[in-house]
Amino acid sequence: MTVYNIYIFDKAGTLLYYEEWNRLKQSGMTRGRGGKTNSFVSKISPTDTKEGFLCYKTSKYTLHFLETPSGLKFVINTDVHSQGVRELLQQIYNQVYVEYVVKNPLCNLSQPIQSELFKSNLDSYIKQSPIFLSKAL
Amino acid sequence: MSLTGRTRLSILDKPLSRGKGEVSLSCFALLFSEVVQYCQNKSQTVPELQNKLHELGQKVGVKLIDLYFVRERNCKREIKLLNILLFVKSTLWKALFGREADKLEHSNDDENTYYLMEKDPLVNKFISVPRDKSSLNCAVFIAGIVEAVLTGTDLRPKLPPTGTKEQHIW
Amino acid sequence: MSRSTTRFDTKKVNSELVTLTYGALVAQIIKDLENTDDVSKQLERLGYNMGIRLIEDFLAKTGTGRCLDLKDTADKIQTAFRMYLGVQPNVANWSAAGDEFSFVLDSNPLTDLVELPEDLKGLKYCNIICGVIRGALEMVQLDVQSWIVQDQLKRGSKH
Repeated sequence: MTVYNIYIFDKAGTLLYYEEWNRLKQSGMTRGRGGKTNSFVSKISPTDTKEGFLCYKTSKYTLHFLETPSGLKFVINTDVHSQGVRELLQQIYNQVYVEYVVKNPLCNLSQPIQSELFKSNLDSYIKQSPIFLSKAL
Repeated sequence: MSLTGRTRLSILDKPLSRGKGEVSLSCFALLFSEVVQYCQNKSQTVPELQNKLHELGQKVGVKLIDLYFVRERNCKREIKLLNILLFVKSTLWKALFGREADKLEHSNDDENTYYLMEKDPLVNKFISVPRDKSSLNCAVFIAGIVEAVLTGTDLRPKLPPTGTKEQHIW
Repeated sequence: MSRSTTRFDTKKVNSELVTLTYGALVAQIIKDLENTDDVSKQLERLGYNMGIRLIEDFLAKTGTGRCLDLKDTADKIQTAFRMYLGVQPNVANWSAAGDEFSFVLDSNPLTDLVELPEDLKGLKYCNIICGVIRGALEMVQLDVQSWIVQDQLKRGSKH
C-alpha cells in the first residue's frame, strides 16, 4: 500500500497545498490535472455528498475525497488496496491542518500554505500511517 | 435576554475565584492568534510587532502579580530576587501553562543576570515563522508577563529579565 | 450533542490566562481607538476572524455535519460554548417564527475579574463572542446576526 499525493483546496477551489510522496508512473496524474480534481469529482459523483466523502477507483490508483462542512476539500491518491483513508484524511484535517494552519496567526486561510511546521507535520503524519509504505510499486 | 444574576454585586463584593477554572487550549490558541494578527496589522516591522506583544504580555503580568500574591501568598510581598524567580518558574508557570518552566540559570558573567528557559512555549506551539520574518518570536508575550511580574514586585533595579533573541530564553 | 466536552478537546489551559489575555487586548484596543462604539465594533470584527478559524477546529474535533435546522444550530453552538469556554448556556426566547433565539450565559470566563469603569459603560466587552458566532456560521453557509441583548457587566448574547 502506498500514498501518492495529497491536494488541499479551499472553499473557492483554490489549491492551498500539494505534496507528493511516491510518484505514480505514467499515470498522467500530474499537478495540472490535480487542479481540476475538485470539479472533476463533483461531476462524476453519482451520489449526494452529504457524507462529505467519496472515493473513485481506477485500475492504477484510488482517489479519496473529503469535504468539510466549511467547504475545505482534501484529496488524496493512494494505490488501489489502501483501507481506512477516510480516517486518515479526517485526522489530517483535525491534527495537522487545524493545529498548524488554523491556529497559526501567520497563515492566511485563503492563501497557499507556506508553513514549514505544517509541511513537516503532514509529512511525518503520512509517513507513519499504515497506508504509507515507503516504496512505490 | 437576561442573565440570571439578579442582584448586581460589585466585583469587590464577590469572593476571589480560586483560579482553577479551565478553558480549552484551542480557545486560547485562537484568541492569541487574533492578538498576534491585531498587533501585526498595527505594525510595520517585526520589532514593532514584538514590542506590541511584549506590552500586552506586561499588561497580563501586572494583573497576575495582584492575583497570585493575594491568592498564594496572603498578600505578603516578596523581596528576595531568587525567591521571586523561583515563584515565576514554578508556581506561576504551573498555574498558567500546566507545568514548571524548564530551567532557571544564573549567568556566569553577570551576577544580576538570570536565564529562565522554556523549550516549548505554549504560545509558539502552533506558530511557524515564515522566512521573511525569521526574527519573530511570539513568545515575547510571555517575556512581557515575566518582566511585568518582576518589575511590579519592585525588583527591576536588580534585574531586568534578559530578553535575548535566542528562542525561548529570557 | 449533549455529552461532555472533554471527549473532543482534552487539552486545557488556565481560564485566567484567557481572561487576562483578552483583557489586555481589549485595553489595547481602547487605547488605540478611544471611541467606545468603535472598540465594540473592532471586538466584533476580531471575533468574526476568530470564528472563521474556530469553525474548522470545531468541525474537525466533533466530526459534525451540516446543520439540519436552526434548532440543530443552536445545539451545536451550545456544544461549542462548552468546548471552548467551559460554560453551558441555556437556549431561550425562541421567536414565534423560530428564526431567532438567545443564549443565556450564567457565567463567562471572559468577564471574570472584570468590571467596567463608568466611562466605558457603553462598551460591549464580550462582543467578540457575537463575532465568533457570526464568523463561524458564515463558513458553514449560515448568515446570521448576533448581538448582545443584556449584559451583566451588562451581558447576554443572541442571534
